[in-house]
This record gives sequence, structure tokens and C-alpha cells, in this order.
Amino acid sequence: MVKFYQHTSSFEHAWDNVTYAFWLRYPNPFASHVVGCDVVDRQVDPVTGVLRTTRLILKQGVLPRWGRGLIKNPDAYIIEESEVDPRTQTMVTRTKNLNHVRVMQVEETQTFTVHPENPKWTQVKTEARIISELKWGLTGRVEAFGINKFMDNSVKARKGMAHILERLRQNAALAA
Amino acid sequence: MSSSIGEKCTQIKQEYDGCFNSWYSEKFLKGDATPKCDDLFFKYKECLLKTLEEKKLDTLLADARKDNPFPNSASSSASSAGSSSESSK
Repeated sequence: MVKFYQHTSSFEHAWDNVTYAFWLRYPNPFASHVVGCDVVDRQVDPVTGVLRTTRLILKQGVLPRWGRGLIKNPDAYIIEESEVDPRTQTMVTRTKNLNHVRVMQVEETQTFTVHPENPKWTQVKTEARIISELKWGLTGRVEAFGINKFMDNSVKARKGMAHILERLRQNAALAA
Repeated sequence: MSSSIGEKCTQIKQEYDGCFNSWYSEKFLKGDATPKCDDLFFKYKECLLKTLEEKKLDTLLADARKDNPFPNSASSSASSAGSSSESSK
């Protein structure tokens, strides 16, 4: 079974700053479960000028009671692949969990573009797919849990980005 | 700046992050993609690769990266993205 999620939101900050904040977003007070984040690969395509990055993120998991029998190690590794095209001002990021995939696989794609109505703002389109291959009637429950958890996390991730963006704005104001 | 998954890599990781952050905001976004942090990235990656091996994450990561995350992308080096940072010269 698969569940889909789609959402569009915006930041009242310029695209440049939002993409910069994306790199700076850990640590932040809304992501205390993120204990490590590494750049595995990064290169600029010589032809297109697109920056492509692969990062590995370690999250210390918090499991519901029924999940403790399914998962021995609650740590989750996340792979995050991204492309930044400065010419078209588009950043696309794709994340998915590397372990616990049989219990649940969450794939998220985010697209950051200049807001169509205000060039000083940024629009973020989020699409996610949540898949569980568990049997014995657990699938629906796991996916329902997954979508709720995913939405909780999206709110936290947004708050984290907003926090970093505010800090960047303050720093810029100080430097001016 | 965030810590590395490998404790011993955190210092070099943060040095690299510092370099990347200024390159990204001051150069890359302004249209200058000339690399600046390759030496630091090389050192950092050396440390990180050891950590990934120790934690047995290397194969997990390699498997996950087999799928092209950007099949519609214009990025021409997509198929060799797994090799190393060589092409960022």
C-alpha cells in the first residue's frame, strides 16, 4: 500500500536565502533528533552549472510502542539528494530513509522556486510517498502512523528553516 | 554547523562546511562556480569513507544511490555522480 501527500507553502524570504538556509538547517531547535549530517558527494556539472549534492543524515528515532517489536535499532539513516540550478533558480531535494525500509519507506521531494506572485518570496512544493510492505494487517496502521508522523515532521522542518532564515536576516541586518 | 556521523570527522567536516557556505553564498549563487573547497572536501571525505565502512553503511548507501534521483534532470554527469568529486575540478 502507498500513501501520497502533497503540499505547497511559501517562505517570505528570497530564493537565494532559502536555498542557503537549506544547507544550514541542522542543527536547529526543532531538529534535536538529528545527530549527524554528512556530505557524501558534491559536484557542479560543468555543462549545466547545476550543483548536485548527496548527504547522509542520522536521526535518532522515537518509536511508538507497537513499533518497538518491529525495529530493534531506532536510529534512522536518511539519504538526501539535491540539485541547485542557479540559472533557473530551482532547487530540488529528494530524501528517503535507508534503513527500516520494509517497515516503512518515506520518499519526499521538495521543489524550491521563486514565488510566482512575489519575486522576494520562495515557493516550496512538497510531495511525499509513504510505503509499507508489512503484512498481517499492520500495513494500514503503519502507513497511517507514517503520514501523521510525516506531517508532524514537516511542520518541524518548516519551523527549523524559518528559524535559520530569521537568523540569516538578523545577521544581514547587523552587517548592513 | 552539524556534527559528522563519525565523531572523529566533525572537526574537518565543519571546516569544510564553513568553506562551502561562503563559496555557496558569495560565489555560486552569484554565478561563479569555480571550486574553492576541494582540498578540504578531499580530507573530510577520506575520514567519512572510513566511518561509513566501520558502521557498515557503505553498501547501504551505494545501493540507495543506484536509482537516479533526478531522471529528468539536465545534469549530464548524473550517471557518474557516484564516482567521486573528481569532476568538480
